[in-house]
Amino acid sequence: MATLKEILTRRPAAATIRLTVPAGGARPAPPVGPALGQYRLNLMAFCKDFNARTQKYKPETPMSVTITAFKDNTFEFTVKSPSVTWYLKKAAGIESGSSRPGHVTASTVTLKHIYEIAKVKQSDPYCQYMPLESICKSIIGTAATMGIKVVKELE
Amino acid sequence: MSFFSLGHFFKRLPYKQLTRHQNLFTLIKQKPRTQSTTLSSVLIKVSACSSSSSSSSSSPCTSLSSIYPPLAESPYLSDMFSEALLCFGASSTSVDEHDNDADENSDEIYIDSIFPECEDVDECILNAANSIGLKEIPCYEVKMGEQCNWIKKAQESFHPVEVTKGLWIVPEWSTPPDVQATNIILNPGLAFGTGEHATTKLCLLLLQSLIKGGELFLDYGTGSGILGIAAIKFGAAMSVGVDIDPQAIKSAHQNAALNNIGPKKMKLHLVPDRTFPASMNERVDGIVEDLSSHEIRGISETEKYDVVIANILLNPLLQLADHIVSYAKPGAVVGISGILSEQLPHIINRYSEFLEDILLSEMDDWTCVSGTKKRAKEDH
Repeated sequence: MATLKEILTRRPAAATIRLTVPAGGARPAPPVGPALGQYRLNLMAFCKDFNARTQKYKPETPMSVTITAFKDNTFEFTVKSPSVTWYLKKAAGIESGSSRPGHVTASTVTLKHIYEIAKVKQSDPYCQYMPLESICKSIIGTAATMGIKVVKELE
Repeated sequence: MSFFSLGHFFKRLPYKQLTRHQNLFTLIKQKPRTQSTTLSSVLIKVSACSSSSSSSSSSPCTSLSSIYPPLAESPYLSDMFSEALLCFGASSTSVDEHDNDADENSDEIYIDSIFPECEDVDECILNAANSIGLKEIPCYEVKMGEQCNWIKKAQESFHPVEVTKGLWIVPEWSTPPDVQATNIILNPGLAFGTGEHATTKLCLLLLQSLIKGGELFLDYGTGSGILGIAAIKFGAAMSVGVDIDPQAIKSAHQNAALNNIGPKKMKLHLVPDRTFPASMNERVDGIVEDLSSHEIRGISETEKYDVVIANILLNPLLQLADHIVSYAKPGAVVGISGILSEQLPHIINRYSEFLEDILLSEMDDWTCVSGTKKRAKEDH
């Protein structure tokens, strides 16, 4: 519930921009440049801010960032951790999921991997209030659709 | 524009990539499907991105934009479609908010999307539309855009900035509001360091308090060269700027020339990127030693500088702490910035073994740490 003050001082939003940027690697060049430049946003400020805030992630992981640009050329942005499929692909060591999920297994991951991925996902603003177990279940479900088997331990 | 002329800008996607798309396609189907409605006007702008980091405005720009005829749509659908586009190859999507009072009848939503040159736009949009269950493919228009456009637009937003009383940072195309003050003329270009960011301001203030005249200054991670130029203007004897980005060195050269600072007063060097992922450190240590000794001989020497400032990012600052501090004379001041207030404890932990008398300055959410290098050293 926004307070009255917030409603009165709410800046009119001009646009919502979605991007995928490697962590710590935002530069004023494409893809960031054209996307933000056309709304006259301060590229440097965004790049510096984004790079500083993604320092805790491994360099070059593709982060999805949503920027809300306001009409007065200011902006706010939220950074989301990479998608579950990306994490699973890295954990399983494969480039792409299986071509026939359910029939052809592309690779395997252990429960420990799932747990680690769930912990990272829990720090995402959207998943903070979900119990870890349900995050794990949804990750296992995603793995199933990619044709990645989940085993207790690697043999 | 005939389809042929557009077609030759796109390569056919290799088979491998298609299978990848199919997997994402099955994945996205799992999400709850909304009623398959039609999308309203989708303006998809496609632009080519040169994958190298230094993209000068002289290279020909290629961007295509597509417009679809308007149809009614719900905002939820536009979100899903933007995310689907990102999955299938768009490098960015943006949705404009329209003033609802202006046209109440039209529920049009425009999605602006930028694609790299090698992507097949039609394929991508087709896949994206299918994956979220749209009945019809929204209309789109593909247009090649000028790379220079966005650079110009971004530069338009730069105005003269007063960092503190008597110190202004003026873009090349503006006249300084106060001719008496110390004016640093900049062409911000594509390098970091325009003077507007809190960390640049903090470093400039620190520099102003430190430079009394005749010092030797090292700007570690010089970007546009702004700190080096400021040091000269405050009275330093010589500035040296180092950076890993060739674009930065280029911008810094230009900016030094704009401020009439010759190569004798300000030297700029491109150095190799020494930050490696932690797991490789042990293996690579040998190589790093060689590089540093080469640098000592060729370019800058350790223990020579009176003031060293590094305004970069947390991870390089932590990894290169020894290296940065080694350039300072014992008793010299080392300034560290580019860190958020929440990252401060890590920096202090790391640098307290080299620096004493640690002082902090804060602006907005950013901090600047400064300390003097410990004098007690076993060798010389």
